[in-house]
Amino acid sequence: MEEEVRIEDFLVTKKQKAFEYNFFNKAEDYQRWEDADFVGEYEEEKTYTVEVEDIINYSEGVLDDNPLFSDESAAKDGPFGGLIAHPLFLTPIGFWIIGDSGPGSWVRTPGAINPGQVIEFYEPIRPGDTIHVKSSFHDKWIKRGKRYLTFLSDYYNQDNTLVAKWWITLILPVSRGDEAHQF
Amino acid sequence: MKVTFESVELGTEIPDLVKQVDQRVITQNAVASLDYNPIHVNPAWAKKVNLLGRGTTIAHGMCTFAFITSAVTDWCSSSGGFISRMESKFIHPVRPGDTITCRGVVTEKHPRLTGKSFVVIELSAVNQESTEVAVCKAQVILP
Repeated sequence: MEEEVRIEDFLVTKKQKAFEYNFFNKAEDYQRWEDADFVGEYEEEKTYTVEVEDIINYSEGVLDDNPLFSDESAAKDGPFGGLIAHPLFLTPIGFWIIGDSGPGSWVRTPGAINPGQVIEFYEPIRPGDTIHVKSSFHDKWIKRGKRYLTFLSDYYNQDNTLVAKWWITLILPVSRGDEAHQF
Repeated sequence: MKVTFESVELGTEIPDLVKQVDQRVITQNAVASLDYNPIHVNPAWAKKVNLLGRGTTIAHGMCTFAFITSAVTDWCSSSGGFISRMESKFIHPVRPGDTITCRGVVTEKHPRLTGKSFVVIELSAVNQESTEVAVCKAQVILP
């Protein structure tokens, strides 16, 4: 008998405890592949204020004990002069900011598959930063029967400095609910 | 030893990074990343939809990507190296029980007069059966 692994046992930070982790809830409201196509960019309403616990917990979650990402006092003597986030800390920021309906909500689609990602990094993310995100439709296509969708999300800090650009791509199933892909 | 643009040669291999993946690792990563796609965290649903052939959960592509990224930052971040671009492809599912080894080699050097000289590292992640699960190209600014 396999050990049951409970999500609740890993919730540590304030954001994790406040986040709706059942992706089936409101799944019918997620944007669908068919509907994702628009001109221009939109700004997500939510922002993400970075706390030390967010940075440290993320590094633990990717099994990275690099002191630059996990030890506030040790990082002070490092080349960045303080704690910085692991580069892929963009991931929880994105899921936090993107809502469960409207543009971008397709990233929560049950059964979505990650084929690969492209990210450019410009500035490290630090405790105290408040990140906001502007996104635009980039591309969608069908290849070997699979339906790909890419949005470009620009991550800015509180000074409106661009910290990262992420071309977010997923392969989306035909339905938004609990059905498998139908290739 | 400090990693600098001058000290790095084409063909330099960065140290391997090895990670064991089980359902605890996958679920902890889901919580850390706020990505609760049931294909990662719900074994019963994963068995029912049998999405990728074996009826198991799979690790997040972003988890494998994070391991690959950490291989680069372990190598150069204490020297002040900064990843400026990452491009990844996930080509085989990572499942509970897998052991993932990340490897990288410097394939390009791009000198710049502006203090932004960078190298390109080509990376791959393989499982315990030597099946390639992901490939990645990282652009890294070095002091």
